Amino acid sequence: MITGAWICLLSPLVAAILVTLAGTRLSRRGAAYLSTASCFAAFGGALTSFVGLLGEHEHERHHLSTAWTWIQGGSYRSGFAVLVDPLSVMMMLIVSGVGALIVAYSIGYMDGDSEERRYFAYMSLFVFSMLLLVQGGNLILLLAGWGMVGLSSYLLIGFWHERPSAVAAAKKAFVMNAIGDATMALALFLLIQKTGTLSFGALNAAHGSWVVNLVALGLLGGAVAKSAQLPLHTWLPDAMEGPTPVSALIHAATMVTAGVYLIVRTHVIFEAAPKVQDVAAGLGTATLLLAGLIALAQVDIKRVIAYSTMSQIGYMFLGAGLGAYANGMFHLMTHAFFKALLFMAAGIVIHALGGEQDMRKMGGLAERMPRVRLAFFIASLALVGIFPFAGFFSKDSILAAAMNHGTYGYILWVAGLAGTFLTGLYTFRMFFLVFGGEQSAFVREHFHALKRDVVGVSMGATVAVLTVLSLIGGWIQWAPLWHPVETWLAAVAEPLVSPTNWDEAISSVLALALGLSGIGVAWLLYGARRVAVPHVPFWQRTLERKFYFDELYDALFYTPSVFVANAFASWIERPLILGSSREIGEETRDLGGVFARLQTGLLRTYALAIASSLAVLAIVFVAVK
Amino acid sequence: MTTLLIILPLAAAVVIWVLPLNRVSAGSLALLAALAEVGIWIQMLARFDFGRGGLQFSQHRSWFSDLHVSYHVGVYAFSVWLVGLTVVVMAACIAYAFWAGREKARAYFGLMLFLDAAIVGVFTAQDLLLFYAFFEAMMIPLYVLVGVWGGPGRIGATLKFVIYTMAGSLLMLASVIVYGLSKNTFDLTQIGTSGSTWIFLGFAAAFAIKAPLFPFHGWLPDAYRESSPEVSAVLSGVVSKAAVYGFLRIGVAKFPGPTHDLRPLILALAAAGLVYGSLLAFRAPDFRGVVAYSSLAQMGLITFGVFAVNDLGLTGSVLQMVNHGLISTTLFLLAGMVERRTTTGELGRLGGMARGRPVLATVLMTTGIIALAVPLSSAFAGEFLILAGVFQRGWGWAVVGAAAMVLAAMYMLRLISAVLHRDPGPAVTDAALDLRPAELGVTAPLIACLLALSAWPAAISGHSFPRNVAAVDVACGFQKLPPSNVHFYCR
Repeated sequence: MITGAWICLLSPLVAAILVTLAGTRLSRRGAAYLSTASCFAAFGGALTSFVGLLGEHEHERHHLSTAWTWIQGGSYRSGFAVLVDPLSVMMMLIVSGVGALIVAYSIGYMDGDSEERRYFAYMSLFVFSMLLLVQGGNLILLLAGWGMVGLSSYLLIGFWHERPSAVAAAKKAFVMNAIGDATMALALFLLIQKTGTLSFGALNAAHGSWVVNLVALGLLGGAVAKSAQLPLHTWLPDAMEGPTPVSALIHAATMVTAGVYLIVRTHVIFEAAPKVQDVAAGLGTATLLLAGLIALAQVDIKRVIAYSTMSQIGYMFLGAGLGAYANGMFHLMTHAFFKALLFMAAGIVIHALGGEQDMRKMGGLAERMPRVRLAFFIASLALVGIFPFAGFFSKDSILAAAMNHGTYGYILWVAGLAGTFLTGLYTFRMFFLVFGGEQSAFVREHFHALKRDVVGVSMGATVAVLTVLSLIGGWIQWAPLWHPVETWLAAVAEPLVSPTNWDEAISSVLALALGLSGIGVAWLLYGARRVAVPHVPFWQRTLERKFYFDELYDALFYTPSVFVANAFASWIERPLILGSSREIGEETRDLGGVFARLQTGLLRTYALAIASSLAVLAIVFVAVK
Repeated sequence: MTTLLIILPLAAAVVIWVLPLNRVSAGSLALLAALAEVGIWIQMLARFDFGRGGLQFSQHRSWFSDLHVSYHVGVYAFSVWLVGLTVVVMAACIAYAFWAGREKARAYFGLMLFLDAAIVGVFTAQDLLLFYAFFEAMMIPLYVLVGVWGGPGRIGATLKFVIYTMAGSLLMLASVIVYGLSKNTFDLTQIGTSGSTWIFLGFAAAFAIKAPLFPFHGWLPDAYRESSPEVSAVLSGVVSKAAVYGFLRIGVAKFPGPTHDLRPLILALAAAGLVYGSLLAFRAPDFRGVVAYSSLAQMGLITFGVFAVNDLGLTGSVLQMVNHGLISTTLFLLAGMVERRTTTGELGRLGGMARGRPVLATVLMTTGIIALAVPLSSAFAGEFLILAGVFQRGWGWAVVGAAAMVLAAMYMLRLISAVLHRDPGPAVTDAALDLRPAELGVTAPLIACLLALSAWPAAISGHSFPRNVAAVDVACGFQKLPPSNVHFYCR
């Protein structure tokens, strides 16, 4: 079981190192196969851990395996340790399973790219980083995985590094994540000061209201940055600059779900700081609404899906913030299935259209690629949460949990329901724009179907697997009837809220109705085109500009820091620090000039000087005696 | 063994100066000596008893007995790592210089070896006057190396460098004499602590200029830009560490009172340098400028750790000294390699070098991301320990440090993108080849060290101070102080 966990963690790393070191000695396809195999090996390792845990009693499912002392300073030390418990195993399965499918899909998607090896090295590194994050046996390893995930996303978003937009997006993602890393690091410093250790067990010992609140806030800062929640969300849509499977990996298997995992993992701290919990839930809700609105006005297919991720992670934050940990984690799992599917189906569309992502140029693809349409349709229904697809089972329980949190909970509940309507609307706007209607001129000109070679098979087969998962994946847990996920996680994170069957039923019915009406409106506007799309320039502009967050941050942070840097350079560094030494140099030279004038070279001057000095000395000696 | 580490490069330097060797044999002899140093150091490391702590491999000969000056050398656990950093970096730099081909090879390699000996001497001297002698002996070859083999602006750079360091050295000399005479010994292991703020300030001035700390870095940009790349690498990689070592071995350890009183001032200077250096690195127009100002920032960070004077801060600063030494050496050598290919270090004229140059891209990317202290890297471990330590002196310092981590990400990513990404810049032609095997051979061992440290930062941070004695006690006077004193002065 422990061995399985180590295999799970290390095999992608080994693949990344091998691909890097082998260079051109390994063929491109070879690198792709090696990377894929390593991810499947990781999944195998995760499975053995899972089976191992299954065979144990509920309260024994906690294993910490420390390989060596990773970091040490005085009495503080943290080991390089992996943790095997129900939560980490669940994440391992999701990360390595969905990750392996996405890497396998990349074999086809990236075929023919001139830097495939680099791509697969990065992908393996990404999977390793995320596994380190979820398996790390203490908070500093969690933070290490956290930072490595940020790094891998930087590398992959900027994979096409000749594109200035890709480079800028990659840097933005990294810096935004670095802000989250920094606040998390501060929280850890506080923990070290108060408890002297960073093991997960020490979280219980962090008493004192302000300490707990500050630690929780610091952790929340990291979670918000990594999961692209308000106010550190602006990097996520730009991250679409990377290849499409990268987007799938970031959105489905790795990275953005890390924030939810963090909250569940450190729930003890958050429970001791209920105000911060409320903030988390509130931020999640605000994000889910905001992202849903922005998604309505986007024309890039990948960006729409990106905003839908933000919105769905908002639901997970809502659940985790309310203490409905199992519901949040369950939604994380189903979301991984259907979001990976959406991206990969969209990737096939983009691939077939020669890299075009603008939905306005698409249309009528239903005739050309019926099976992709079917996969996309299932994924869309799962995203909206329509019975019996995956999202239905997980999203509605989160909403039901919100009904058990007083007035604040009801506000969040209403907002969450409104989000369901928005989800239906923007998802099916996308669906109808891409697949509905007549074939556009662009499609007729540029469409080319996938061949039935390795490329087609790798892309088709993985999409098929995910389609099945999106179909049946939700049935694992149906809140009022059976709830294995909740039982499985109960040993790690006991839920704080227990919605009644009535809450579940009401939420389900309302969410279903609102989701369907959202789909209906989308059909009227974009499918059947019975109603003209309302035209409100102000709102359109605001949504297209994403509520002006980028502009705001530019004005608040980037411009001032550039200004300060320039001010330092031109007002302090050059005149005072570099200039001062020049002045010292000149002064010295001047002084030297003065003394040089004494060196006249005339014997009589020197004789006079010597004589007068002697006289002075003599007088001094006489006087002192 | 310690003496051997000092004598060997010195002897090799003399041989190179005296014998009429040609360029190749002078270079290979120098490289051989530098590698032998590494070998001796590995021996030393293997035989060092980390469980025992204290001074080991010490040698003691009376020198001027009436002044109580002696030749006394030896290593503590933390100085073993700094000696290791020195010999590894010097070997890499000599190897690079050998490959790049410097004019007047005999003079050049002799000076490099002399420098090697002097720096090892600084890290091992246990007598105050001997320390001073090595500290000055370290400067002399540097003046010549910057002034003769530097770029077009080398004379101005050297002049500034000389004036600044001379000013510091004279103040330190005065402090050394007053301190030693007042205690009637110059032996660092017996001299005891002092409460004099003035003597402390004399030492601090020399170290602050040499490190450099903000605002004493006026010599830094020119010296780092105008020297040949391997000399910049030595300057920022190890010579700056000699200054911080001085803060640790003499400043903090011998002057607990003044350290305590002046801590807010020094921490403030360090914080200012950290932010200031990071911001200037963010707007520096050239490769070496970015690395130079990031060095300024890093020295601020390491000073943070030393003047936190607690376990976390001190161990973190030792780790970070080694990290930064390796990182900035690699970066300066890479700057040199890029400049060789494009004749410029201006970021505006570079770009797009990743395409078709996978080795260069991989090496620069790896070093860059370790330099920006991505978590799981050794630099992260060092920063984390330092900031966790200084956090306990006041959370505000750690907040500044955390903000600087974000700034570090900004300037390193800017550097990486400006060199590697986007379309090729005007100075980047197809004639600019990928790294040659020799260049890879110089940088790969440095990066391998960094990666090994990333896997196990506790190799240094867990083996810098004796295990059973808190680092605080060790740093607060290497001879035992009564516990209450430690508490009063250092907490």
